[in-house]
Amino acid sequence: MILVVAEQRGGALNRASWEAVACAQQLAGDEPIAILLPGGGDAAQALAAAGAGEVLTVDDPALASYTPDVQVAAVAGAMAQTSPRLVVMAHTYQARDYAPRLAARLRAPLVADVVGVKGTGAESTFLRPMFQGKLVAEVAPQGDGPAIVTCQIGAFRADAVVKGAPAAVRTLSVPLETPSRQTVEPPFQEARQAVDLGQAERIVAVGRGIKAQDQIQVAEKLAAAMGAEIAASRPICDNGWLPMDRQVGSSGQTVAPKLYVALGISGAIQHLVGMKGSRTIVAINKDADAPIFEVADYGIVGDLFDIVPALTAEIEKQSH
Amino acid sequence: MKIAVCIKQVPTREWQPRLTDDRTWIREADASFEMNEPDAYALEEGLRLREKHGGEVVVCSAGPARVQQVIREGLARGADRGLHVDDAGLAAADGFMVASALAHAMRDEAFDLVLTGLQSDDQGHAQTGVALAELLGIPHSTIIMDVEASDGRVRVKRELEGGWFQWVAMPTPALLTIQSGINQLRYATLKGIMAAKKKEIRSVAPPAGLTPALKIVGLSLPAKSKQTAMIDGPPAQAAAELVRRLRDEARVL
Amino acid sequence: MARETLDVDVLIVGGGPAGLAAAIRLSQLAKATGGEAPSIAVLEKARESGAHLLSGAVLDLSALAELLPDYRALGAPLLTMVGRERVYFLTEHRALRAPLIPPPLANHGNALVSLNQLGRWMAEQAEAAGIDLFTGFAGQQVLLDGQRVIGVRTGDRGRGKHGEEKATFEPGVDIHAKVTILCDGVRGNLTKQLRRDLALGQGREPEQFAIGLKELWEVPEGRIETGTVMHTLGHPLRHEEFGGGFIYALPDRLVSLGLVVGLDYHDPRFDPHVAFNRFKRHPLIARLLDGGRLVRYGAKALPEGGWNTVPRVYADGALIAGDAGSFVNSVRLKGIHLAMRTGMLAAETAFEALQRGDASAAGLASYQQRLEASPVRRELEPVRNVHQAFGHGLLPGLLFAGVAMLTRGAWLGDLHGPPGHTRMRTLRWYYGIDMAGPAASREVPPDRVLTFDKVTNVHFAGTAHDEDQPSHLLVHTEVCTTICGPEYGHPCTRFCPANVYEIVRDAGGAPRLQINASNCVHCKTCDIMDPYGVITWVPPEGGGGPQYSGM
Repeated sequence: MILVVAEQRGGALNRASWEAVACAQQLAGDEPIAILLPGGGDAAQALAAAGAGEVLTVDDPALASYTPDVQVAAVAGAMAQTSPRLVVMAHTYQARDYAPRLAARLRAPLVADVVGVKGTGAESTFLRPMFQGKLVAEVAPQGDGPAIVTCQIGAFRADAVVKGAPAAVRTLSVPLETPSRQTVEPPFQEARQAVDLGQAERIVAVGRGIKAQDQIQVAEKLAAAMGAEIAASRPICDNGWLPMDRQVGSSGQTVAPKLYVALGISGAIQHLVGMKGSRTIVAINKDADAPIFEVADYGIVGDLFDIVPALTAEIEKQSH
Repeated sequence: MKIAVCIKQVPTREWQPRLTDDRTWIREADASFEMNEPDAYALEEGLRLREKHGGEVVVCSAGPARVQQVIREGLARGADRGLHVDDAGLAAADGFMVASALAHAMRDEAFDLVLTGLQSDDQGHAQTGVALAELLGIPHSTIIMDVEASDGRVRVKRELEGGWFQWVAMPTPALLTIQSGINQLRYATLKGIMAAKKKEIRSVAPPAGLTPALKIVGLSLPAKSKQTAMIDGPPAQAAAELVRRLRDEARVL
Repeated sequence: MARETLDVDVLIVGGGPAGLAAAIRLSQLAKATGGEAPSIAVLEKARESGAHLLSGAVLDLSALAELLPDYRALGAPLLTMVGRERVYFLTEHRALRAPLIPPPLANHGNALVSLNQLGRWMAEQAEAAGIDLFTGFAGQQVLLDGQRVIGVRTGDRGRGKHGEEKATFEPGVDIHAKVTILCDGVRGNLTKQLRRDLALGQGREPEQFAIGLKELWEVPEGRIETGTVMHTLGHPLRHEEFGGGFIYALPDRLVSLGLVVGLDYHDPRFDPHVAFNRFKRHPLIARLLDGGRLVRYGAKALPEGGWNTVPRVYADGALIAGDAGSFVNSVRLKGIHLAMRTGMLAAETAFEALQRGDASAAGLASYQQRLEASPVRRELEPVRNVHQAFGHGLLPGLLFAGVAMLTRGAWLGDLHGPPGHTRMRTLRWYYGIDMAGPAASREVPPDRVLTFDKVTNVHFAGTAHDEDQPSHLLVHTEVCTTICGPEYGHPCTRFCPANVYEIVRDAGGAPRLQINASNCVHCKTCDIMDPYGVITWVPPEGGGGPQYSGM
């Protein structure tokens, strides 16, 4: 059977957990799937309602705030009781924090940041990026024991989860005797000094086609309407029209958001290498031959100063 | 403080991939190598902590003879000694295998703090540091922005998703994976480069019985499978159509 | 912050074949004579030796054999020996094969190498001999005490875009040496400074240069026999342009190909990269590359003037070797073995001078004698006028080259050639009409499969510089906004193979020069070819530049 480990913080389920369920369903074939929610609580009901598999919880006050020691003990304990063939979770910051520790403790192979799977059953292999996206590796876990898989955020679609009749929620009894070596303080928010485009789900990027610094506001309005971050190709940052930490490309950041809208960007290879891993790419450019259209999912050839305001208006209209 | 910094040697960033004939690894002869960039931040953090608290910084790396290049680069910037797990078989190894090799060599050193980068720019498993913590039996935390060290303890600022942060404290010895971009690695001075030649690099053999946890079945260039849907029409119409597709087809709005 | 200083006996600037041969030779001499070895330092601006080295290349093994007789046992990276040889005269669509290989282009017994790999290997040999090789350090300025060279100052590191000191700031290092051997390559910035300060070029012919553009391709199995060496003349170059193409088949399905063009052409609108793309589109080459993949791109200038353009190569406290001294045989298209040999001779001279305690110009003058008694002179002197003869056109040049070979260079008087950049004609002179605005190009656009635009190509040079540093291209006069457009049409935007120079127009259409400094591949073409002579290339912060793996 395949065990999906869902993630929550403060009772709210991390949406990426559904992506892990979708991934598990692709791998499962006829195998049963169970979903583990460390900490239990209300989120377990939402999981159970989807009917993708039995929901298992480990309820222990120690799980109320995440620490790797307790998380590893909880998941390892659940694995001992359910003997899964595979453990699947989303490649979140939290998974990065404890999954390798769990894998090392159990001597279980860990395939991280998976973007695709091949085959079902014991012979399935996993696709993951290597060399900063320059290559795709097909990887096979070794050995007879369970393997752990973390799937790249956005690689599997939450809305692709096949739903079924509501499932049961069962509490596992997993003794968590050893206290965490860590003491954690409550999380807090902070205005970040530098923009982390790598975290953005949506990005609107401007290139030379924006023509002037005071025209960037056309793109900013679109970004605001979409809930997107603003980014730029190198010439824009070189001119000082946007700060360096907004630059995407070989001399800036590499991003792979769910949506990347390229406005007036020709698509020079130096820029493409920074964003071509984006899940959905939209390109708007006056030049039908611009290389950006080769990597775009959707393209509009035209004047961005006509199209972008129309786009912004359309999105604002839709959200009302 | 006795600080270990684990550094990986990886192909340079602009390297164009050429694969071996069986496509299970890259042609190393074609590549130039450099220090893994995320590890450079860990190195700088280690050097700063030594400046503040005294002690020594030991650069550790696992792989073929060529990885001594990055150990020397660490020494040239001020690290005190190097530790090299010498094994050509580790060049293409997965994170757990490398962590096992490092743990074997590092166990007897009794480090107070072990620092690594977030992940390597070659295979990018993001596992070696955390697995190493488990194998050494020490607590860990990841994506660390700030380190406060005091007697027998560290208090660290961990980055969470979405602009959230958290302070976490734990006893040393402990392992931290350092967030990229929090500092800038200092330059190696001429004197530093010359002094590096005289600093000790202890070479050890890997432990017996190391086996891969993962096998690379095949490497390939990402396929261009995109079919670009061009949307025509006057601006208002094209905009409406695009929004519809993004919402209903691509589901990103 | 205090400036670091270092005192050594011999400072070698440049970690290429000349500098490394000098270093290795010095350590051999020290070992042979016993006693205290001189302290040696080698400076190399690249992050690692070899990263900025690029050539075809077919290597004449004679110098390597003398420097390191057991080079094969030491693992010298000889890729393959030269096999099948061909010379073609190309027209736009056809390739006419020469029935005989002209003797200068005969390469039997030579080896195909990657100069990048050779440089890396030589650096390993030097380091194994205990030599301090400082990579990531660029020589910024020769330090002079009156007329005496006392050492070199390296460039500052950690300056921001506007010259401000960043947190990591380190001022350049002053390295004082009894003897400084300048091996800073074609149009080396330190050699250029010294030529100017000490009038080293006086009485010699002006330097001449060419630009070489090169790509490394991976082609389908069996497409071409490994070891094949092809040279071409003719298309895409016209009779007024000196140069030719090369195609070398390396092991593992790699092909090295390139075009060399003299930097003394007349047409201000000539673009070497456009010519290179035309060269690739010729059926002979296009067929070879079909189905293949571009692996790497690069470009570099090379000295072309020959023996008569070699300056005085010794001064108080200094010697010059390698490309920096114009030691290249442009007829055989070979300079690597000459770089090694002159490096070795410079080392021998320096060693002797140190032993005698006299590193003055008089003490170092034996370098000139060594050169004149050496294979370097025997090779370069007979062909000393060939490049200058090509200045009169392809046919005269070929005839001259033939006669020079037959007579072994005996000639009644030497030919003279003005510096290449002065031969560029104005738009009005060349095209006969007033050309003020940007002109339409009749050029076939790159297809992005076989041919690429400069911006894409430069990505494959792997060039990278810290973005936050001052521009290292110094343009001294504002000719760009005033006279250059109408006179020459901004040729820098054409002769730079890396798209460093761009003319952007403001709202009123007025031109402004935009310098994309971080694209620079350190080829030196702009320093050489600018018709006004107002561009000076200085090294950017050490460590930055191209990454010519396998080139």
